[in-house]
Amino acid sequence: MTTTQNPPAAVAGEAHTTTKPTAPEKSRVRSDRAEAWRRRAPLMPALIFLIIVTQVPFLLTIWYSLRSRNLLRPEGEQFVGLSNYGDIFLDSTFRQAALNSVLITFGCVIVAMLLGLGLALLLDRKFFGRGIVRTLLITPFLIMPVAGALLWSISMFNPTYGLVNWLIGLVGISPVDWTSEYPMFSVIVALVWQWTPFMMLLLLAGLQSQARDALEAASVDGASAWQTFRYITLPHLRFYLELSVLLGAIYVVNTFDHIYLMTAGGPGTASANLPFYIYQRAFLGFDIGQSAAMGVVTVIATIALALLALRLIFKSINAKEQS
Amino acid sequence: MSLTRSRPPKDDAQRRGIAPEKKPKLTKAERKQMRRGGWLDAFSRQNLADTLLTGYLPIIVALIVIVLPLAWMVSSSFKPPSEIVTLNPTLLPQDPTAGNYSSVVDRVPLLTMFGNSIYVTVVGSSIKVLLAVTTAYALVFIKVPGRNFIFLGILVALMVPPEVSMLPNYLTITGLGGRDTLWGIILPGLGTAFGTFLLRQHFMALPKEMFEAAELDGAGHFRKLFQIAAPVSIPAIATVGLVTVVNEWNSFLWPLVITGSAEKMTLPVGLNLLQSVETQAGSYGILMAGAVIVIAPMLVIFAALQKYIVAGLTQGSVK
Repeated sequence: MTTTQNPPAAVAGEAHTTTKPTAPEKSRVRSDRAEAWRRRAPLMPALIFLIIVTQVPFLLTIWYSLRSRNLLRPEGEQFVGLSNYGDIFLDSTFRQAALNSVLITFGCVIVAMLLGLGLALLLDRKFFGRGIVRTLLITPFLIMPVAGALLWSISMFNPTYGLVNWLIGLVGISPVDWTSEYPMFSVIVALVWQWTPFMMLLLLAGLQSQARDALEAASVDGASAWQTFRYITLPHLRFYLELSVLLGAIYVVNTFDHIYLMTAGGPGTASANLPFYIYQRAFLGFDIGQSAAMGVVTVIATIALALLALRLIFKSINAKEQS
Repeated sequence: MSLTRSRPPKDDAQRRGIAPEKKPKLTKAERKQMRRGGWLDAFSRQNLADTLLTGYLPIIVALIVIVLPLAWMVSSSFKPPSEIVTLNPTLLPQDPTAGNYSSVVDRVPLLTMFGNSIYVTVVGSSIKVLLAVTTAYALVFIKVPGRNFIFLGILVALMVPPEVSMLPNYLTITGLGGRDTLWGIILPGLGTAFGTFLLRQHFMALPKEMFEAAELDGAGHFRKLFQIAAPVSIPAIATVGLVTVVNEWNSFLWPLVITGSAEKMTLPVGLNLLQSVETQAGSYGILMAGAVIVIAPMLVIFAALQKYIVAGLTQGSVK
């Protein structure tokens, strides 16, 4: 795991290190330094630029989160410490948005993963027209999220002329105003539709990397299809299942387009998630300090999730390298 | 669940020649079946009902659920308003019309937006990929002090929700005079943590011997990168390129906040604008036409490059 090693030579002035190099290390490094810098100089601008565009905005967010700043009152800017953080935890809308984020993320990821697993198992066999079926099943993943959200909110969930209400009308259920009465459910349905193909592709890749001889051995030994699935396929897929949940969660937790276009966070703030609420506070409420604080909280929560994902990824990379 | 293998174990073993001694003589039909390949097994008589129930039926249901919304979108885009505002909708338009498409062009400057989207996607993605390649190379082959911390920082950036850096980016870009300009759309998104991560993992796996000969010749880093590392990494670079192009094309939130006038909007923002001017139920054919126009180019590209994309999704993470 490369990222946790101490750097060979941490030089003072490096923006990211807090480790102070010891004196002997410094002098040893200095002798080779001029030549090394000359050789690496041409590639440095790209590296520095990348650091700036990926890191500086985040540092700025932390800075803004410690200040009271509202674009409508430009003169009132001042350092307020952690009071923005106190305010947002007292804000019931923020807590609701955080809860919605969790519900949307897990609801979407788990349902999409189960459906994706089912589809991947179906597609992991030879049958007539498999190529075209697979292409068709992938399609929702290729749809621009804005267009997908529009498609669901308008032509599927429209209370009067939507297809869903027409279909349930066939079995005698009276029409439902989906995006107003069940906003979270509507958003999750649209997201599941969009994300199932991603899960399916990942799990299909996992299924197809199975060692065929293990499966053959199982069938020679007379294992039933369920036994084969339970004791050979599922343990093999474990890594892929974990990966699809984590990658899916990292993407879905940032969902903005669907909420903006389908429910606009409404009714009220019933379906606002964190990204949408941050957007609302920053660009409709112009409250820079608080929305920055919310952003920092979101990042910390996401990083906790991400570290889990990284450990998993590195574990597999290391396992591959060792074998 | 009998989904994993529909063939009975005996067939499978025979077909792969594992237990030929059990039944040395195959009938003509069986041999023919072997030659024709696996999927015909599913049509043997005892399997037919089983196959239909466990294989084709779920696939057909899944196809309907997944594809119907899309088919409905395309069909609606050709329907006149009278066929949309009806309580007895039909799958196919009875009186197909291209009127919705011309309405889209009337309502919003679609061609300009298309041009903006293409410009932002092409310029943004090119710079992004170039930066990702050079940065990944630097992180692997150049002993930059603290490079592991830089890499860790990039990984963290990969996980940071975009709406968090959006706020400082908005203030910075507005301060630089980039509001409502195309470069203002492109600039903050130029660092791709995903691409850098994937390419770094790829470069790490390259054999070091490849570079030794070049080093003896006195090749600098640039020659080593563009004449050795990059050419052997074309598939990985193509993957990063494709993912970048798709993200850039689909990007909505940042262009939404940084643009104000229709002439500078990209297609997703334009679609949002179209939705806000067309609010009547009868005009949803126009919105669907807009959606079709926006989706079509990506579908065409994907259809052509499918296998790279499928590989790319799993590469890097599952290598």
